[in-house]
Amino acid sequence: MGAQLPEAEPHVATSALTLAPTAGEPIERRRGWLRSLDVVIPGAILAFLLFLFFVWPLIGPVGKPTGGNILNSNIEPFSQGHLFGTDPVGNDIWSRILYGGRSSIEIALAVQLIGLVVGGSFGAFAGYWGGALDLVLMRVLDVLIAFPALVIALAIAESLGPSKFHTILALSFFSVPAFARISRAATLRLRERTFILAARLSGTASPRILLRHIAPNIVPQLVTFGLLGMGVIIILEGALSFFGLGIPPPNPSWGNMIFDGQQVLSAEPRLVLVPSLFLFVTVLCFNLLGDALRARWSAV
Amino acid sequence: MSGAANGDLLQLGDLRVDFRTAGGPVRAVDRLSYSISAGRTLALIGESGSGKTVSSRAVMGLLPPNAKVSGSIRFEGEELVGLSDKQMRRLRGAGIAMVFQDPSRSLNPTMRVGAQVAEAVRSHADLDRAAARTRAVELLKLVRLPLPEQRYHEYPHQLSGGMRQRVVIAIALASSPKLLIADEATTALDVTTQAQIMELLRDLQRQLGMALIMISHDLGLAASFADEVVVMYAGRAVEQAPTHELFARVRMPYTKALLEAIPRLERPPHARLPVVPGRPPDLAALPPGCPFEPRCPNRQDLCRESDPPFAEGEPGHRWACWFPCNGGGP
Amino acid sequence: MGVLVPVQRRRPVSGNGHEPLLQARNVVQEFAVRGRGGVKGGVVQAVSGVSLDVRAGETLGIVGETGSGKSTLARSLLQAPRPKSGSVTMRGTELVGLRGKALLEARKSMQMVFQDPFGSLDPKWRVRDIVEEPLIAYGVGSREERRARGREVLDRVGLDADVFARRRPRQLSGGQAQRVAIARALTLDPALIICDEAVSSLDVLIQAQVLNLFEQLRDELGLSYLFIAHDLALVKQVSDRVAVMYLGKVVELGPAEALYREPLHPYTVALLASIPSPDPTAPKGKAHAAISGDPPSPIDPPSGCRFRTRCPRAQDICAVQEPPLSDLRPEHAVACHFPVRSSDENPATAGAR
Repeated sequence: MGAQLPEAEPHVATSALTLAPTAGEPIERRRGWLRSLDVVIPGAILAFLLFLFFVWPLIGPVGKPTGGNILNSNIEPFSQGHLFGTDPVGNDIWSRILYGGRSSIEIALAVQLIGLVVGGSFGAFAGYWGGALDLVLMRVLDVLIAFPALVIALAIAESLGPSKFHTILALSFFSVPAFARISRAATLRLRERTFILAARLSGTASPRILLRHIAPNIVPQLVTFGLLGMGVIIILEGALSFFGLGIPPPNPSWGNMIFDGQQVLSAEPRLVLVPSLFLFVTVLCFNLLGDALRARWSAV
Repeated sequence: MSGAANGDLLQLGDLRVDFRTAGGPVRAVDRLSYSISAGRTLALIGESGSGKTVSSRAVMGLLPPNAKVSGSIRFEGEELVGLSDKQMRRLRGAGIAMVFQDPSRSLNPTMRVGAQVAEAVRSHADLDRAAARTRAVELLKLVRLPLPEQRYHEYPHQLSGGMRQRVVIAIALASSPKLLIADEATTALDVTTQAQIMELLRDLQRQLGMALIMISHDLGLAASFADEVVVMYAGRAVEQAPTHELFARVRMPYTKALLEAIPRLERPPHARLPVVPGRPPDLAALPPGCPFEPRCPNRQDLCRESDPPFAEGEPGHRWACWFPCNGGGP
Repeated sequence: MGVLVPVQRRRPVSGNGHEPLLQARNVVQEFAVRGRGGVKGGVVQAVSGVSLDVRAGETLGIVGETGSGKSTLARSLLQAPRPKSGSVTMRGTELVGLRGKALLEARKSMQMVFQDPFGSLDPKWRVRDIVEEPLIAYGVGSREERRARGREVLDRVGLDADVFARRRPRQLSGGQAQRVAIARALTLDPALIICDEAVSSLDVLIQAQVLNLFEQLRDELGLSYLFIAHDLALVKQVSDRVAVMYLGKVVELGPAEALYREPLHPYTVALLASIPSPDPTAPKGKAHAAISGDPPSPIDPPSGCRFRTRCPRAQDICAVQEPPLSDLRPEHAVACHFPVRSSDENPATAGAR
């Protein structure tokens, strides 16, 4: 172990302010949903949005997002059958928002999941075993992180061609190193904890330690990181679509809606404003939720 | 030490500290009264949750915002309860200083130790840099830090635990306090270093005429260095007496249990210790009556129903117990 | 690995078992250290050639301050990580060269309890899983048998399985958490338990409870202990024999009573003198600093005898030649050129104590 000189265990008697939670600091008991407003409010809004994007089109009266009739173009909002009106090509904006939102969130979720599983695992392996594996991984990560994420994503999307799957692949190049770095740092910290040594002395083999001890203790941190990153990924996807490299038209995504809409910004500002507004609210909710969860999970 | 207010440097009268928590109000300190005069040492003894640290933080005005302090804390006759932060800060260091348990957390790791002492000096006296530096070196000499001029330029991590604690004491002394509160100041140190630091504190006390309140869980330490001992349990004082008297004629069964539980050199190997079952009570859910009752070997029905008063049973010796031990040491 | 049998008494507790259970010879453990500014580092020897035995049924205490290497020694004995050099035999089996399954098998009879009761328990696990973990690791018993064993060891440490099995560490007090750690150590029915400052973080009254538990388990199960602490009074109280460590070396090793009544090494004398005692008849401030200065850093230990820089008895030879650990009395060894004899004035035991 090429470690620093280990600090001798301090001879600390448990003090009132640490052991007995009954004296000293205010206890935050998460009892009652009223105490958890910081989680409940963004959570509820997100749940509602998810319902809108994923469930409502299946059961409610939502028109088709594509194949609009040019004769229906530029209908005003709040008209019959078109909550937000239509775009220059005749597509119903409301349904494009819903389907576009679904795409955006699907992509962001997939990207973050890939990041968590792939990046999280590699980071944990590197952090736990160290040595050559760690060295190689760190250098690879350094290279990946050094490049601006957008540039890589654009390059990949450009070479592969626009499609949902390719977009996910391209954006994963961004999320995997990010998760790996977090996971490695968390694992390094965890590895020095006494209960890991105790597990080894109990005879538990390394793979099992990684799965049953390391993973459960770093996953909360990774999940909150993932939530906080959802907004970034959605916006990145939007940027890709903005450059025409994300979801291929005529399928909607918030990004390409904004791209198309900016061409007629002065005439029909709602074509940009409406998707932007939804983008803003969704990203804000993910961030608030991620922040609130991080606050409570890092206390334990 | 009770009664006469003249000559008392610090006097606590029925001090109460309540915390507003998510689970309801918690009384961390309940009707604590004691006093200390210049040049004396008082030991505040208790385990986790006893309220000893919270009460001292109340004296220093260092409690979190959800704490409510009531009762009286008089320092040199001036009432401290109800003072604003600014007024407390003026008083802090100018009259009262505090030394905490973990020296590594009391020192700024990115600043040289000498600079930290000098900073403390300048916050209490209007000196220029050179004069502050000289005074800082003087203080480091005073706390018997070896090679003070050299150590002045070092960072905390370059010093051992004992040396760091000396620096912390030097910082505390920078304001020439009349009262020094040492909150488990030696708990994190080795036993040989602990002895050195306690001796240093005692000598400083004599030299500077300071009063010293030492907070600890270690009754042995109190026996060696304190003039008077106050034992706390569940936020209240349960026994108080001059040291000699307390150990010779312990009354409160809790104090007796503490004394018996301390490892002793004189015991034969594999001796079984007399133990008290259970653990300290949850301050948020204190039963009526004596808080020690569930664990007390002397308990009777009365103890569960009624809270014993903290009264002076013998001259200078107060305790809160309906059925105290009948004197005689452990 | 065989059918689980109830944790049973292994040998009569006499402390006089002659063949040592655990034998350590010249154990050396090193760490790499980053130098100032992080550039060039060196190596520090935390343990420098320690030899000792733990006999069957006895409790060997190890006392030392910061930098003494006692905790490092404990982990080295368990091969976590294995020592740089030296030999460690457990029941005749050499541990140092072992790897993998062989090491696992040999380690089965040695377990450890750590200082921080909460730190040694996985915060996400339940008590029953924590306690059953060694069984799963060694592939012992069926699920029901493991459950039964879990309940059995929890019961042994005084915790009601029905109440505690499903709890998580944050729902336990310090004393309860340490009991869980002890229960886990008992699961595989070890012969030796190493206690590394196992009670130092506990409140005084809880500490007494846990110490009594250790003694009780010793009686009931015939366990041997290696008890490590910085508190000499505590160590002396639980041990049959005591080893005093300073800066990576054992400086004195002998029966607990003898060490107290007739300490031979000046460092032991200083330790004894520094202990504050709740004795009403002692003059105030009796615990005095018997030695000056701070413990030197293990990175650059003094030449010859490592204690000489703080020793009131040091002479020229102490800087030149390191004193070997040798028996001055039967069963009582000391590493000193000028050990303290009873004819000397002994401040620790003189006077009214």
